[in-house]
Formats: sequence, structure tokens, C-alpha cells
Amino acid sequence: MKKKLNLAPVFFVGPHVILFVVFILLPTIYGIYASFTKWNLMNDPVWVGFDNYKTILFDTKSTFHTQFNNGLKNTLIFVALSVPLLIVLPLLIAVALEHKKVKGKSLIQAILYVPGLISISAGALIWLLLFNKQLGMVGNVFGSDISWPTHQPYAWILIIIITIWGGVGGNLIIYRASISGVAQDLYESAEMDGAGPIRRFASITLPSIRFPLIYTFVMTTAGAFNVFGQPLMMTDGGPRQSTHVLMMYIRQLAFGNGESIAGMASAMAVLLGLVILLISALQYYVMNRNAA
Amino acid sequence: MANQIAGQLDKGPLVNGQRVDKRKGSGISISKYISYLFLIILCVIWIVPVVFGITTSFRSQTEVVSSGFRMFPKEWILENYVAILENTSTAPILRWLMNSLFIATMHTLLVVIVISITGYGYSRMKFKGRDTLFFTLLGISFFPGVVNLIPSYKIIDALGWVNTSWAMVIPGLAGMGNLFLVRQFMNGIPKELDESAHVDGAGHFRIYASIIVPLMKPILIVCGLFSFTGSWNDFLWPVIVFTDVDKMPVTAGLLLLQDIYGNYRMIGQLMGSAILAIIPTLLLFLFAQKYFVQSINLNSGIKG
Repeated sequence: MKKKLNLAPVFFVGPHVILFVVFILLPTIYGIYASFTKWNLMNDPVWVGFDNYKTILFDTKSTFHTQFNNGLKNTLIFVALSVPLLIVLPLLIAVALEHKKVKGKSLIQAILYVPGLISISAGALIWLLLFNKQLGMVGNVFGSDISWPTHQPYAWILIIIITIWGGVGGNLIIYRASISGVAQDLYESAEMDGAGPIRRFASITLPSIRFPLIYTFVMTTAGAFNVFGQPLMMTDGGPRQSTHVLMMYIRQLAFGNGESIAGMASAMAVLLGLVILLISALQYYVMNRNAA
Repeated sequence: MANQIAGQLDKGPLVNGQRVDKRKGSGISISKYISYLFLIILCVIWIVPVVFGITTSFRSQTEVVSSGFRMFPKEWILENYVAILENTSTAPILRWLMNSLFIATMHTLLVVIVISITGYGYSRMKFKGRDTLFFTLLGISFFPGVVNLIPSYKIIDALGWVNTSWAMVIPGLAGMGNLFLVRQFMNGIPKELDESAHVDGAGHFRIYASIIVPLMKPILIVCGLFSFTGSWNDFLWPVIVFTDVDKMPVTAGLLLLQDIYGNYRMIGQLMGSAILAIIPTLLLFLFAQKYFVQSINLNSGIKG
């Protein structure tokens, strides 16, 4: 009996620990190690110390330096444009849906949520059609004769639109759930005291959903740094590399045509990972302190 | 559930609030119209692309190319669908859908099995360093996934899984997110139930299978649904691990289609393929809507 008790946990927990080691722990450690090597994915990596990092960060003549700078810049642009909208818009929708007299709440919520279940590739094809100069709506209905995916700032607008379209639903449901959990009598007594809707939102709703707000802000931002599918499908990084994000360069260097430059790509991946960690920690720290 | 509660509260305060309602009557109706306008505009923007995509998939090639914009086709035709289903060489969409279906179903089943068994271990079994182990793994899993992308490919390659469905079925099982939710949920189930079964001589597996799993149904369904849609819609990973056209899932296939049909301006066929790729997850949502919505309830309840 005693022996059985000691062995049983191995059967229950062990398989997942093995999966974790093989598919998360090992690749993470190896990814950091590979960033200090010259590696083509086929042969053994050759240790080169900080060379990759020096090239990426400081060698202004190197294409890797240019690619990293451009990729990081474009990724930051995407984060700065998409994250605020992905927080504010769902919040506004959630508040509008809380309005007592609004009917058809679950239908509206379903409509806004469904694009989140559509894959980037299918969604992108549909939106590209809509914005197609000859065949779509923008040209024929709104009279725009610009090819959106190949001109700035339209290329960014297109990428942001599809991102918002697919991304609003998830945060919306989190906000709705937390807002409906706020005690209703708080609102009633505030209303009695003559507080208007904006005042009620700022001093009751926002503080009450502080944790979901921090959580969604941090998660949405971290997710946005990994952006890949939208620019790949919608603009293929163009026009003139101006929507070419870091994740696209990493994939291109490691898995593109020609010999793999996986060591350099790993160094870029580690740098992107560090940026994500740093920003997440900063957001958490600042928001938690301000809220306290 | 949340909706029901909100509905009750909507009715509740009317008695007390009648005076307030009268005084602020006009204010409430203005904000009502603003809310409606805002929501309806959004809903239209959200729906139009999908509807236009669907109707375009039923348009003839001549109509797509010749006429200006119209929401609905002059004549509804099925040729686009016939053509994409008959193309089994460069763009075998049916194959891709079957691949996606196999991957997503297999992944979902295994996720549910792994998280329930492992969750039982972390929640119900007593062994040394249990919580330390769990939170160490959880902490490591927060490390940004970009870093392990390239070595993950190498591992899949070493296992001989490049261009096979296992490349998409197995690695995701290592994740900690669902496990965290399941452990949390299981900790909320009173321990008296299984302790008395333990006293009666039932082993861990008995207790897991006959007591815990039935009680875990709601959260397992939720995790399963999200695993299914997540793996159905995954894009970056299949684009990396699949080069064989016959083996890839539909998300990666659509990237190829953009070149195959897009270059020849066969927009109707392009749309038909996109619509076929969307249908399974939409059906799932239609039948299990309450779980999709409820789930994140649980999610935010714990995280918030």
C-alpha cells in the first residue's frame, strides 16, 4: 500500500513533466544556447560567444542589424497601434452592452466574438477581397483608388483592422464577465447621488475591474509582440519592408530559402523575448502601483 | 449564467429606481441610442466581410471580374466549390480539411486526458515538492515562446515528425495554461468525496475516473473547445513544420492558395476555400456558445 502511494504520482504527473521537458524546457534552453552559436539547423552549432548579438545590435554595415532594427521598429508600431484599440474598444462595447435598455445582448456579443474563431489566413483572404481595388468594396463603394496593401499608411490600417476584428471578442468577454460581477447597488447609490454615466464608469467600473484590466493589458501586449500572420498574409511585409515584423525575419532567417542562419535568428528571438519580458514586467509594476 | 444574473438585476432595481428613471428619462434614452448606434455600426462592420466572402464564393468568374461592387451575386452558382473540390493536386482542400480535423480532434482528446490526469496529480496526490514542481513549471512556461520556436523544430525533426500531424498534436500538450485552470478548479472540489472513497479502499485511478472526471466535465469541455479552435486556427507553427502539400492543415494551405488562385484572380475559388476553412469552428461555436462565453468567465475569475 505504501509503495503504491509513492509510485502513483509518477504515473499521474510524470507524463506531463516529460512533455514539458521535451517541448518547453529543452527548446528554451537550447534556444538561448543557439543564440551564442553559428548554426544552420543541420550541423552542430559552433560557439561564437556574443558575436551574433554584437552584429545585430551594433554592426551598422550588417544586413542583420538593418533587419533587426526594421523588424523591431515595425513590431513596436504594430503593438502601439493595436494594443490600445484592443483594450479600449472591447471596454466601450462591454459598457454599451451593460446598458439596461439594450436588447439582443448575446446576439451582438456573438457577432463580435465570432471572428476570433476564424484563422488568420481565412480572415485575411476575406478582408483582402473587401479591400481589393477592382473587386472589393473600398474601391467601388467608397471610391478609393489606392491599392491598400501596397501603400502606407493604408497597409498598416489594413493590418490593424483585421487584428481588431479578430481580437476584440476575447477581451470583450473578459470585461463583460467582470463588469457584471460589480455590485449593482454601487451604481444605484452613485446614480442617486447624481453621478453621470462617465463619472460612474471612471470611479466605479474601472477600479472594480482592475485585475482583469491589468491581465488583458499584459497578455494582449505580449501577444502583439509575436505578430506574424496578419502582415505575412495581408502585405507580405511590404510596401518596401515597412510592415515586415521581427517574427517574419526570424522565420525567414531560420526556415527561409537558402541556408538556414538559425544562430542569428535565435539571437533575434532571445532579444524579442527579452523585450516582451521587460515590457510585461514594467506594465505589471506600473499598473499595480498606480492601482494600489 | 452571468447573463441571467444581469437580467435579474435589470428588473430588480426598477421599483426603487422609478423616481430616478423619471427624472433622468431623456438622459437614459439618449445614451441608449448612442449605445445602440455604436453597437450596430460595429456589428455591420464585423459581419460585412464574412457575408461578402460567402456571396463571392457563389459568383461566376465573369461576374467577379466584370461588374462593379454588389453585395449579392446576379446569379448564384456552385462552380467555384466544384472546382476547388476537384483540384486534388495543387490545392487539395478536402485533404487539408481532413488533416486539420484529425489534428484538432486528436489534440483535443489528448489535452483533455493529459490535463485531467496531471491535474489530479497536482491537486489530489500527496508527494514531496508537489507545489514547488508545479509552480516552477508554471514560472518557466511564462518565458516568451519565441525563444523555443527554432529548437522545437529541431526536436520535431529529430522525432521524424516534420510533415506529419504529430508535429501539431503533441507539443501543445506540454502547455501549462489549461493545467493551471484545471488544478484550480479541482482544488475547489471538496476533498471529503474522494477521501471517503479512499477509506473504502478505492485506488487513485478509481477515484480519478469515477469521482473526479465527472465533476470536472464543465472545465474539461471548455479547455477542449479552446484546444480544438486553437489548433484548428494555428498558423505560424504549421507554416514552419509543413512543406508537403498533401500533409498540411488548412490554415497553411490557404497561404499557398493565395499564390495559386490569387495570381490567376480566381477570387470565387479563393473565397470558397476560405469559407470551407471557417465552417467547422463556426459550427462548434453555434452548438457550444455558452461554453465559449462561460469559459473566460472562469478564466477571469481566477486571474482577476
